[in-house]
Amino acid sequence: MSKGYRQAPGGSSDKKRKDGKRTAGKQDFGVPGSGGSNPYSELQDIERIPNSQGGQLEQPRGPHVHDPHITGQTIGKATPLVDSRWKVTGQAEYGDDIRLPNELVGRILRSPHHYARIVSIDTSEAEALPGVRAVSTGMDSVNRFGVLPVTKDEHAMAQDKVRHVGDLVACVAAESEEIAIEALNHIHVDYEVMESIHDMEDGLLDSENPIHDRGKYHIGESNVQKRVFQQFGHTDAMHDAPFQSKSDWTFAGLHHGFTEPHAVVAHWDPNGRLQLYTPQQVPHYVHRALSSVLDVPMHQINVIRTFVGGGFGGKSDPFPHEMCAAILAKKSGRPVRINFDREEVYWINRGRHPSRIQMEVYADEKGRIAGIETDALIDGGAFASFGHVTTYYNGVLHTSPYEIGGFHYTGARVWTNKPASGAMRGHGAVNSRCAVEVAIDDVCEQMGVDPMTFRLANLLPPHCRTITGFRITSTGMRECLDEVRKQSGWDDKFRKMPLGRGIGVGCGFFISGSGLPIHWDPENFPHATVHLQCDMDGGVTVHTGAADIGQGSDTAVAQSVSEVLALPLDMIRIRSRESDTAPVDLGSYSSRVTFMNCNAAIRAAIELREKVLNAAWEIIGYHPDSLVLGDRRIYYKRDPAIGVSWLQAVHKAQADTGSLIASGAYRTPPMGGVHKGAAAGLAPAYSFSAYVAEVEVDPETGFVRVIKAWAAHDCGKALNPLAVEGQIIGSCHMGMGQVLSEEMRYGRTGHLLNPDLLDYKIMSVHEMPEVVPIIVESNDPEGPFGAKEAGEGPLLPILPAVVNAIYDAVGVRVNELPVSPDRLYSTIEKQCRKMGIKDPLDLPNPSFEPSALQADLENRAKEHAHRDLQRDLLKDRSSYVNGVLFGFDPDRPLPEQSEGWRESVTPTPEDLADPKKRAARAWSHVERRKRRDDA
Amino acid sequence: MSAPIHIPMVPSDPMEAWTARVNGAQFTELAHSHSILLDVLRDHVGTLGVKRGCDMGTCGCCAVLVDGEPVLSCLTLAFEVEGKEITTVEGLADGHHLHPIQQCFADHGGSQCGFCTPGFLVVSAALLDKEPDPSEAAIKEAIEGNLCRCTGYQQIVTSIQEAGEMLRNGLTGDDRTEAASDPHPVGPDEPTLPPGDAR
Amino acid sequence: MKTPPFRLHRPTTIDEAVTLAADLVKRKQGFDWVSGGTDLLANYKWHINTQPHVISLASIEELTRHDAHHIGAMVRLHELEHGPTHPLLRQAAGTIASTLIRRSATVGGNLCLDTRCFWYNQTEDWRRSIDWCHKCDCDTGADCRVIPNQNTLCVATYQGDLAPCLMVLDATIHLAGPEGVRSMSIADFYALDGMTRNVLKTGEFVTHVSTPEESNDLDGDYQKLSLRESWDFPEAGVAAAWKRTEAGLSTLRIATTACESIPRIHLEPAEAALVDWNGESTAIEIAEAIRREVKPVNNTYFPPAYRRKMLRVLTKRALKGTWM
Repeated sequence: MSKGYRQAPGGSSDKKRKDGKRTAGKQDFGVPGSGGSNPYSELQDIERIPNSQGGQLEQPRGPHVHDPHITGQTIGKATPLVDSRWKVTGQAEYGDDIRLPNELVGRILRSPHHYARIVSIDTSEAEALPGVRAVSTGMDSVNRFGVLPVTKDEHAMAQDKVRHVGDLVACVAAESEEIAIEALNHIHVDYEVMESIHDMEDGLLDSENPIHDRGKYHIGESNVQKRVFQQFGHTDAMHDAPFQSKSDWTFAGLHHGFTEPHAVVAHWDPNGRLQLYTPQQVPHYVHRALSSVLDVPMHQINVIRTFVGGGFGGKSDPFPHEMCAAILAKKSGRPVRINFDREEVYWINRGRHPSRIQMEVYADEKGRIAGIETDALIDGGAFASFGHVTTYYNGVLHTSPYEIGGFHYTGARVWTNKPASGAMRGHGAVNSRCAVEVAIDDVCEQMGVDPMTFRLANLLPPHCRTITGFRITSTGMRECLDEVRKQSGWDDKFRKMPLGRGIGVGCGFFISGSGLPIHWDPENFPHATVHLQCDMDGGVTVHTGAADIGQGSDTAVAQSVSEVLALPLDMIRIRSRESDTAPVDLGSYSSRVTFMNCNAAIRAAIELREKVLNAAWEIIGYHPDSLVLGDRRIYYKRDPAIGVSWLQAVHKAQADTGSLIASGAYRTPPMGGVHKGAAAGLAPAYSFSAYVAEVEVDPETGFVRVIKAWAAHDCGKALNPLAVEGQIIGSCHMGMGQVLSEEMRYGRTGHLLNPDLLDYKIMSVHEMPEVVPIIVESNDPEGPFGAKEAGEGPLLPILPAVVNAIYDAVGVRVNELPVSPDRLYSTIEKQCRKMGIKDPLDLPNPSFEPSALQADLENRAKEHAHRDLQRDLLKDRSSYVNGVLFGFDPDRPLPEQSEGWRESVTPTPEDLADPKKRAARAWSHVERRKRRDDA
Repeated sequence: MSAPIHIPMVPSDPMEAWTARVNGAQFTELAHSHSILLDVLRDHVGTLGVKRGCDMGTCGCCAVLVDGEPVLSCLTLAFEVEGKEITTVEGLADGHHLHPIQQCFADHGGSQCGFCTPGFLVVSAALLDKEPDPSEAAIKEAIEGNLCRCTGYQQIVTSIQEAGEMLRNGLTGDDRTEAASDPHPVGPDEPTLPPGDAR
Repeated sequence: MKTPPFRLHRPTTIDEAVTLAADLVKRKQGFDWVSGGTDLLANYKWHINTQPHVISLASIEELTRHDAHHIGAMVRLHELEHGPTHPLLRQAAGTIASTLIRRSATVGGNLCLDTRCFWYNQTEDWRRSIDWCHKCDCDTGADCRVIPNQNTLCVATYQGDLAPCLMVLDATIHLAGPEGVRSMSIADFYALDGMTRNVLKTGEFVTHVSTPEESNDLDGDYQKLSLRESWDFPEAGVAAAWKRTEAGLSTLRIATTACESIPRIHLEPAEAALVDWNGESTAIEIAEAIRREVKPVNNTYFPPAYRRKMLRVLTKRALKGTWM
């Protein structure tokens, strides 16, 4: 410091205060908040350091690769969301809260017809209206888009035809909302109405005017958008199994029901760059879609994610109204804001597919699941959206958690003239999961086995492969079942409660991040990237594109960085809003954010940590291996008095380059089979859950009341238990809505009758039972600090748990959701008639007589529990594939070991012979290009 | 085919002066005779914390307090509350000190996506104002008109109970503008080096 | 959503309101009354039967009187729920919509509640897609979508909770209008179909309802069928009131709501039952008789067959107090 040109900030340094505090004006850079309140550090809190690192934190599931980076800062502690203060003060800006100077209000003209050709549109009257600044129609935007590159079938506004009531026809930007609404009334559209289809089974037939034309890839002349066939295992033999459950389910369509309606603000800035503000789960897809729709390079577009008032999958497609706002803003030269009325939210939809699922579960004399045969026909509505994936998920996501002898799946998604279905929490897995779990209850009833025991005796172990080749790493399924069994008092309640009172169990299985990025080869680009930037103030700015939609992804990523660097959360700043500053991230869907984004963040933080530790090494002379990161201080492992403040080390690290930056990325390991569709359902890890629900059923009215639910979810490691519990309880709420009250109801003319929150029945606080969230931590070897997803999987088990509990209460099986009182009542009535009972209060109560199999399965469950623990603890990691339970050698290809073992994705005529199977009918059509080949 | 109808949206009568106290400050805004309170608050007063969820009285996102009583601003005519005292979510905190209900919603998971939160907060604040130790049933009755899609209500009920506890103990929410860590930490400016280190 | 423009009038006395109304009638200007606004404004936002003028009753002090036997039209449902009137009314008031709605909604508004229908309570855009509804878009010549090929009768459903309770308490409703004031039994207030709804003449409005002193001796119950405990309108509702003395049951009245275009009091089955009252078994007979009397249509959330069957259960449960 003696060089003449250098001047210490704050003047000379000889007037030192006696009380030890710094003299005002004498600090160098940003001491506040960077030095820690105790410069001398305590020894590390070894109770928070894992066993594997010499600490005392127990690790019942063994060590984890991130153990060396646990500093005890935030991981595993209940942490309020980092943006919660914006929300509770009303300062969080959602889509409609973005008010730019000089804004215009946009409104959309929508189709009044289910299906019609547009003959002409006359906008001249609207354009002439005072206060109208821009009018646009499909003529202004002819490029297609869609969330999946393989099925781009949407436009900003209708081109030649409208495909459902509410389809976009034109849009207007005006000085006020009133003027814009008025202008819509002055746009004159001539339609030629065509015959519309509403029943999904009609979509399987050839049509004169299919809703879309996929050119040479079109399937016959039908409205089949996607069809899937998968056959694995002993699919012939399973039909001879002694215990069989066959059911035909109807699931109503569902809406996400988020409280914030869609809204968007578009503004072309003075440099000609589009600034688009939107509450999006997946800003990157909007970014791509805008570029291709508007014919503007991506670098000329900045997508700004606002706060998102609930997504649940419903804000993950690029939307036509986002294109409309951009087009109107361009035409008018002013910012344009479009805010949906609640009804419009239902027109754009993308909710859960209405489905008809034929479910067959077979069990053999040893109490094993001989096979599952599923036929799922799903109603896609007017556009493809995520439907390609949904069609797979309806099948492949019930190949676990149980070991099965065979799996036969036919799935088809059809276009109908309804608002488009898409992805919704538990995407594609929810309905078929409900059907499987209820069928399992049914076979248990037949074989005289407690459904808890049956499940525990048929679970796949950790570190195995499923029948279709998914790589399972960690699983806490067994612990989930054990916990809910214990906590709910299952053994004292099952089949032992009076009429009208029942208990039921259900399990769930879900992906923790889709293994295949939609837009690129995972070998080529990573799934997620995070940049860290640490400046002279010592705080760390995290640049990420992960979209916080209320689930707390900003908090999770902040926690990950904070944990590795041992910094308090207030020193971590998340910048996740703008595509200009964020590295590309695929957004919040498929429960990928915690797993992928936090893994990327941890990698970045480790890189930053290395740089800072190397700087500390230079200062104090101890090798980074013997240094510990404490609260804003880096110190010698064995003598905490020796050390350097975080800030001093950071400044040292910055000295040469003036910067301290790091970047981390996550990509999935290679995995999965090679068959067509093998990538669907692949994930780097899977979550598991088991719920028990206790219900009260009023046999006289059909009303079901869930009294209490015990909800165990294996999320690997709860990074933030507060948020995990919130996700579990919230999932229960949404799942209970689907099983008991929610449905998008279409009238006899095909119109959606309840596009509002009064008649779309989301449960109120009164219907919500007490939920006991139980967190199970299976410590996933590849998850961030062992974590897996907790946002979607927790929804699955509540549906079958409630349906099974209804059976326990009144002895009737329902197979139509929602189980609204009128539906349940008519089932009860039928049962009464069948049994010759006049008063439903006289219905017999189902009872349970264990068969000899019960003891066998209890023993097997015990053996398997031991097996699973050995595999978890790395004491036994011999290979395990689905089939070992049936006597197969896991190290040889299964088809070689048994003649009847099939692995096929192309159906034979025999596979499609059953005329009652619906989705199978989709395979009777021949794809156009193949017909041409034939000719 | 029936004859099309057309309900004209323009023109309307000229706007008139509308006056009310919002969060303690007097506002005079131009509004239409038929203006809805929610629109005036969002578009004119600028309290964008008042949310438009369903716009039909179901979701409760738009709830505000009028003279201390919770009201659905989406189903209230602006001129019907002229001259009254309106409190929105922005008016709950005392400067940077959060109202206990705000603090507890943040700390106990009462808010996930946050969109319904402003409505829940004003309704709960009004409840705790009258009844600082409400039973669970009273809490449920108070929030039965608010719809939350994220939380399943459980953590909201907990948050309200915790806020009641804070209020009863005379606590206020913290003020984050206070430095979270000691800005002038005691101790040496220089690194503490190992004994005998030459540097 | 935006309502079409209208002019809001805020009279402060009943006389002023009546004069205003008479003047608008004379000038052939359409208008609506508004009290709490929870029904009317929701409809206006959907552009349902909007009028160029709206007269608010909210500033009329006289309409807020609220004591044991007098309930002003402007008494809020929340106040009624916690007020001094018959417990049956307080019970029913507590079941209406949500606490938040009840803070605004009023007794007068609930009694004059517009009838509801899946094809009617929809936005303008939605109604355009069904080629309009004849209850609201009258000048289009649209047909009824519930029972097609007839465009005279409207079958929209009255889904108020208070009316049946006031009926069984034998309440009187009081109206004021340009032609003066008049009173009638609440049962006579409701008339005809889903469009006409009640006997109010143009310019006339409800000032208050009163219950007789004798209602103090009545016990009662209200049973409501709705999917959720909050928000939902009744899908069927049964109110019952009775007088139980040492000698047995001496008075019995039963009324139903939410099954037809008007609420209805069922005098005959109740009177017949009194003749030979035998507790539960008689209740089941009445329940069956009432189920036969009402004919719901398919225009609310639950299917009509279910609602009818549930009337039987609700009636039985409403009468439970007569023998238990």
